[in-house]
Amino acid sequence: MADETFLSDELLRQLMSVGEVDLLVGILSHSSANTMRRAAHSIENSLQQNFVRQRVAIISVDGGAVEDDDGEVSSGNGQAALSAHSKGLSTLRTIHRITAGFNGAPSPGLAMRTILSSSDLLRAKACAIVSPATSSTSPDWIANLLRPAFRDSYDFVSPLYSRHKFQGLLARNLLYPMTRALFGRRIRELYADEWGFSNRLGAFCLNEDVWHEEPVRTRPEAWMGVSALTSDFRCCQVFLGEKPQPTAGSGPDIVEALRQTVGSLFWCLETHQSAWLNRSGSEPVPTFGPDHAVTAEPMELDRARMFEMFCSGVKQLEPILQSILRPETLGNVQAISALDQRAFRFSMDLWVKLLYDFASAYHHSVINRDHLVQALVPLYRGKIYSFLVEHADSSPTEMENDCENLCLEFERQKSYLTEQWKAGVEVKS
Amino acid sequence: MKDTIVQGLEQAYYNLVHMIAEFLPRFVVMLVIILVGLVVAYALRHFLRALLRLTKLDRVSEDAGASRVLRMADLPSMTELLSRSVFWITWIGFMLIGISVLGVAGLQEQISRLFRFLPEVFIAMLILFLGLVIANFLSRAALLASVNAGYRSAKIVSWAIRFVIWILAISMALEELGLARQTVLAAFSIVFGASMLGLAIAFGLGGQNLARQALERHLGESAKEKYKEPQPL
Repeated sequence: MADETFLSDELLRQLMSVGEVDLLVGILSHSSANTMRRAAHSIENSLQQNFVRQRVAIISVDGGAVEDDDGEVSSGNGQAALSAHSKGLSTLRTIHRITAGFNGAPSPGLAMRTILSSSDLLRAKACAIVSPATSSTSPDWIANLLRPAFRDSYDFVSPLYSRHKFQGLLARNLLYPMTRALFGRRIRELYADEWGFSNRLGAFCLNEDVWHEEPVRTRPEAWMGVSALTSDFRCCQVFLGEKPQPTAGSGPDIVEALRQTVGSLFWCLETHQSAWLNRSGSEPVPTFGPDHAVTAEPMELDRARMFEMFCSGVKQLEPILQSILRPETLGNVQAISALDQRAFRFSMDLWVKLLYDFASAYHHSVINRDHLVQALVPLYRGKIYSFLVEHADSSPTEMENDCENLCLEFERQKSYLTEQWKAGVEVKS
Repeated sequence: MKDTIVQGLEQAYYNLVHMIAEFLPRFVVMLVIILVGLVVAYALRHFLRALLRLTKLDRVSEDAGASRVLRMADLPSMTELLSRSVFWITWIGFMLIGISVLGVAGLQEQISRLFRFLPEVFIAMLILFLGLVIANFLSRAALLASVNAGYRSAKIVSWAIRFVIWILAISMALEELGLARQTVLAAFSIVFGASMLGLAIAFGLGGQNLARQALERHLGESAKEKYKEPQPL
């Protein structure tokens, strides 16, 4: 049962007036009212077209309000009017809109907890979370996220996107291969802005006592996904379409992205270690639609600067890297940083060893954990530079093969991590 | 004459015997106190060493960078250093108590002054240790932030932060000990002021172009100049 103490009286009043629903769509945002309005309309369109008979509600958690078309602000328990863009179909039931402010310091984790509590109180059978960026995409997205949890009894619905071949490189080179090798399930997008889940998984997560933890406060979706993977919930992937790119300056920069995602992944490794330490190999999860799609328009990137930042990072962070990496790994990294830009290659073997050294160092807390993750940034830049050079002219198939090989390398070297993970930390004295 | 000499010698002998008779029990008491102190100090050292190993202080010290400084100074690990310090402080404390039992007039005053001074020494040591930990943490944070932002002088920024915090910590520790207060204050003002003035002159005169570029970059940032990286997520 939901812990209602952190829900405001106003939100509880709205939830009580709604009663019970079949489906709930949550919008996580700190965006402007206009962005929220577009997102809410896109969601309504999708619900009107795809879930005609179901009781549905939309909850937006940002402390702001959802404006109506005429610019008026919804009272919070407003009922959506029939969209002018609906294709002759309309829901037979009222779509309820709920707005919730933050009853505490705003964070994605608190917003997520508010949605989970609301879902629990409304007894929603399935729930989808979207970001306001979703408003620019097809209404099918919402239906695709909700349907597997609502009709096919899946507990966790992860999205798949069509991406530019040089976008989402953190997911392709680190997050996906590492989570796949360690948790043994092939889910590509654990760090997504959109996902779906069942009431069973929602209730499970709601009852976990982790909401005060920083990784859960900043990236609740990753923790929820890992919880689903490690607790044997039914997981699947659905192809949504082209991932909308964040507008300039709105997405997290590379340092912040690594701090949030890699920090969260390492934390999940520690909190779920019993689930992965003795596991080997990986298995696919059911996928609706293609499991990958890559586009290749020209893209302007400053590769030389990236290489320069890698080399200077390795040189200047040497004392920090010494305490994180094993001597042979550090030696190899220093050796490639001394190479000429044209001859430079970051091998899969070294990349995997390096990441496993970082994960193990995080576990043993050899230095402050946030500093440890930040020390990975220059090395990641080196890997990405190498990736950009190697795949300048690669076809999607070649890139997919390369990604598969990297995943297998992570799986092959897993014993290296488990050995270091279980070993006591060596304190130099 | 002879009787006077013999009487004097007898008196001296009597005084000596009396003094020894008076001193010897005190000396034995002092030895007992020192021996008990040795046993207590040993016990405390072993207990503290076990406790600190249990709490993994060496790891915290390694993380804070204190171990590196200790290694540079050819000192043992933090656990060993603290347990040895406690051993010596305890034993010296017992020794001083033992010596005070002897009842030597001038010595007692000095011992009591030393005891009054001990808390200040501890506080000064604590200030230095905290200064070391904070300096290391902040300088590392600055180094990482500068490297990740692509600044070429990341190490200089990091060292400058470390240096300023060390100077501050040392000044505060000396202030706590009450050593040359005026000198320390003047030295701190001179060192800190000179560093800032030096940086201002270096940046203003030596790096006019650099300053202009930096200001242009930060205040008049354009999309073209901005370093482009692929979207990570």
